Amino acid sequence: MKNLFTFAGMALILALSLFLAVITGDYGPWYFAWLVGTTMIVLIAVAGAVMYEKQDGERQGKTGH
Amino acid sequence: MDMLINPTVVELSRLQFALTALYHFLFVPLTLGLTFILATMESVYVITGKPIYKEMTQFWGKLFAINFALGVATGLTMEFEFGTNWSMYSHFVGDIFGTPLAIEGLMAFFMESTFVGIMFFGWDRISAKAHLVVTYLVALGSNLSALWILIANGFMQDPRGGTFDPNTMRLEFSSFVQLIFNEDAQAKFVHTSIAGFVTGSMFVMGISAFYLLTNKRKDIALRSFRIAAVFGVISTIGVVTLGDALGFIDAKAQPMKVAAMEAIWNTDYNTASASWNLIAFPDKAAGKNLFEIGIPYVLTPLLTHSEDTVIPGIHQLVDEAKPKVVNGIKAMVALKEYNHDHSNLQALATFKQYQADMGYGFLAMQYAPDQDLKKVDASNMTSVVDKTAQETVPNVWVEFWAFRIMVAFGFIMLAIFAFAAYFSLKNDIEKHPLLLKVAMWSIPLPWFACEFGWITAENGRQPWTVYHMLPTFVSASSHSVSYMIFSLIGFVLLYSSFIAAEMYLMFKYARLGPQVSHHGHDKAPAGGGMAAQPAFAKPSLNKQ
Repeated sequence: MKNLFTFAGMALILALSLFLAVITGDYGPWYFAWLVGTTMIVLIAVAGAVMYEKQDGERQGKTGH
Repeated sequence: MDMLINPTVVELSRLQFALTALYHFLFVPLTLGLTFILATMESVYVITGKPIYKEMTQFWGKLFAINFALGVATGLTMEFEFGTNWSMYSHFVGDIFGTPLAIEGLMAFFMESTFVGIMFFGWDRISAKAHLVVTYLVALGSNLSALWILIANGFMQDPRGGTFDPNTMRLEFSSFVQLIFNEDAQAKFVHTSIAGFVTGSMFVMGISAFYLLTNKRKDIALRSFRIAAVFGVISTIGVVTLGDALGFIDAKAQPMKVAAMEAIWNTDYNTASASWNLIAFPDKAAGKNLFEIGIPYVLTPLLTHSEDTVIPGIHQLVDEAKPKVVNGIKAMVALKEYNHDHSNLQALATFKQYQADMGYGFLAMQYAPDQDLKKVDASNMTSVVDKTAQETVPNVWVEFWAFRIMVAFGFIMLAIFAFAAYFSLKNDIEKHPLLLKVAMWSIPLPWFACEFGWITAENGRQPWTVYHMLPTFVSASSHSVSYMIFSLIGFVLLYSSFIAAEMYLMFKYARLGPQVSHHGHDKAPAGGGMAAQPAFAKPSLNKQ
């Protein structure tokens, strides 16, 4: 049952995303650009932080701390 | 329409609104950007499970809270100011302008404010994932607030979605879709929101640089610096390209603003080789640049993204405005006749014939004898038309330099973020103390850029409150000069005290750094820990 709800929830998000993409892509290209761009900025910044943790781990491994 | 408008009151009303808007906009961009940076830090916490990111979110959240509270306080008065100081404007466009403002309050601001409470007080009450969703909703809510405000502003820059009704003497809604999907509103929202991201990034990066220079909580400082530098470099690239897009849209919708922004007095029909003024000293009275350094072959592709589009100069636009002024005077005279007698269908037909240029008729009122357009006749028509057409030119000197200062700061920040991100990603930012000092002293730059950006946008809209439809001259309330001076001084004193409070609290908590807990100066456990709960995150302290 939990899987079904998860599937339904994901499908709903997908449908909503497609709807947003079609509507805002047609009438509001800049709003759509903001949604995509902001998501991208956050994800790349998160990736930068995760990369820091990896670098920090490697550095600590080298120095033995 | 019959009352005499006092130009001193109009100028004081403009000054008061400009000051309150500029004060308010000291708080807004940080809120727009810092919320998403908090969401980024908390995302890393949820993904990696490392408590230090929770501590970071809570520490920067404390600085966000100070800014948020003062931003709300300064923003509330502005909405009332439309009614008190701009009553003619509110009457004329209230049906349209009031709608996005109401939605902003009811939807975005309520959403933001509700979730801000859960964000601060809900750390120990909801799961980490649920809290992350709340933080994202705060970020989304604050940016949605900006969206609705900028939709309202977009209507002022390029009025779409409203129709003038001669019976009610006001603009009324014709299309909500046109209002929200207005190209100017769209481009300005993304430009302004991302400018907020740049502000938040520079704020976090600059303070983190200070901690690195003073050896304070380097574990938090290095991680915050990394996130802010990466966030900032992409945001700054975004804000520059989106600014270009906004200029492209303005070139179509507001050619006079763009001509003033670039100090172009005469149309250059050799489009490919047209010069872009790097430096100029525009003189509006003389109608030319007293001094200029131009770079050929740059202007047309820069503004129009083509090589053969003609960019009209200010003199050409003034000439094009003259027949509109003549039509506008006819429209306004007919409208006045129709208002005296609603059975006068001939007057209504004449009004509808010239309705598109009605705003120019409003603008001509200030040059008509006794501000009465009926008194404009063959003997004074040329003089009134010439002066009114000339009035459509904004303050070119301010427009030219405000724009250039904004752009210059944008590129300086891009360079700083690029170096900061490069050395941070190489993990040797600590080896570059000069860059850290530059980052720390650059904290005010995005605020300057944002303020000059607003001056560019709003000065370039003059002499209109609603572009080509309603002049600023007729939009103000009919207060006395003494009332305006009294309230202006009051606002300046009150808002200056808000700024002083913000600066004091920001400096105090930023200097103390993340090791400060509600108990005092306890240092957080090594490798991160939860000692740095912000004071207001503790319900017990909230009762104090």
